[in-house]
Amino acid sequence: MSDELNCCSKPDAEPTASRKPMPVWLFVLTLVLLFLGAVYFDHHSGWFDRQVYVPYATAEELAFYQPKSGAAAMAAHGRTVYETVCGLCHGNDGLGKPNQAPPLAGSAWVSKDVTSLARVPLAGLNGPILVAGHEWNLSMAPMGAGLSDADLAAVLSYIRTSWGNNSGAVSADEMKAARAAISGNVPSAEALAKMTPVERGHAVFQKYGCFQCHGQDGKGGVPNLNAKTAEQVPSLIYVADGYTKAELIAFISRGERNIPRKNPAGPEPPHFMPKWGPIISTNELSDLADFLFSLKPKGENLGF
Amino acid sequence: MNVKYPMMLLGAAAFALYGAGVMLADDQQLDAETKARIEKYEQGPATIDVSKYPQGIQDNYEVFSQKCSQCHKLSRPINSDYAAPDEWSRYVKRMMHKPGSGIDASDGKKIYEFLVYDSSVRKKAMLDEKLARMSAEDKAAAEARVKEVHDKYDNK
Repeated sequence: MSDELNCCSKPDAEPTASRKPMPVWLFVLTLVLLFLGAVYFDHHSGWFDRQVYVPYATAEELAFYQPKSGAAAMAAHGRTVYETVCGLCHGNDGLGKPNQAPPLAGSAWVSKDVTSLARVPLAGLNGPILVAGHEWNLSMAPMGAGLSDADLAAVLSYIRTSWGNNSGAVSADEMKAARAAISGNVPSAEALAKMTPVERGHAVFQKYGCFQCHGQDGKGGVPNLNAKTAEQVPSLIYVADGYTKAELIAFISRGERNIPRKNPAGPEPPHFMPKWGPIISTNELSDLADFLFSLKPKGENLGF
Repeated sequence: MNVKYPMMLLGAAAFALYGAGVMLADDQQLDAETKARIEKYEQGPATIDVSKYPQGIQDNYEVFSQKCSQCHKLSRPINSDYAAPDEWSRYVKRMMHKPGSGIDASDGKKIYEFLVYDSSVRKKAMLDEKLARMSAEDKAAAEARVKEVHDKYDNK
């Protein structure tokens, strides 16, 4: 074979470019690929029907296809509440976040009795706890205080039956009993109606556990590791100086997810301002702003 | 059997979409409107030519540059849509009350006076527009606050 090649090679022949027709096999292969591509498109796509790619034009349309009743509806609702309120810290996967929130997946806290579990979203949780063999020393505001019994039952059921947890659903009635057992000293609706806006605002401040991070009566001093604000959660006593009522309400509603770091290379500060808009009602927000404005020490004037 | 080719194309498209989604999701940490506003301000110039301002205001500009740049770009306040005295008063107080700001009451006042003076010169059109939209009472109060700063520093 090699002899044969050697015999016929001409050492003085220069390689030259020549026009050759495209090989037939390549042409056929291209056609075959195009054909297969078209067949695939035909079988697996919805052609150019908009409905296939943007199946739901509105939220109502999407809601139409959701389960309407029973366990499936409750699970779907629980998941929605979870991802709106809890997921930001505990993760949509229930695995928690380092220095921010312990995991719920596989946590013994989740499988406790309903009252003990409900105490966490309703009253908040402060200080060192043991979760799945690790100590967590953080504080959580009562993020569930503004949720209805049905919403809380749905979200706790979702947590208790997801990510490998298997400790049974919670009914709205159980939730109602648990709330009554926990909130013995919350002012009644009649008592609230008789209060001034500032007094009501103080009740709101207590109800949602603002003190957990901002200190009793907003006096501050709670550490927030590596936060640019002197590694503290800011005090609230001077908000009257810096905000109009509308600006303050807008800020509380919006929250502040990104807390600037003191050392940019350091860890993320564990506390951030939750987005309270979906949780605290409009009237409560108005009272809360009045209460916060009342905190400014009397007679202090900066002269500008 | 030859479904791999379109599958690869689809895979690449899905990957690109995923990337875009992740970037969008990251961006949504601050609400879009606020973020866009701040970014627009920060793209503007980061210094002000204060050579024609009175000496006292030039000194206050130094305080402003030094204190405010500890936490954010100077282009943010310089190009912001704040111009009225009460807006600056609230904004400066909001910043100085942050724990560890290092801005005491006298620095805060200097920064406020600089910003009010600067707004009444460099942002005069914006300030006039804001004044025109105020009630007569608020307008008189705002004008008095601007005048107070000018009286303190002009021709001295």
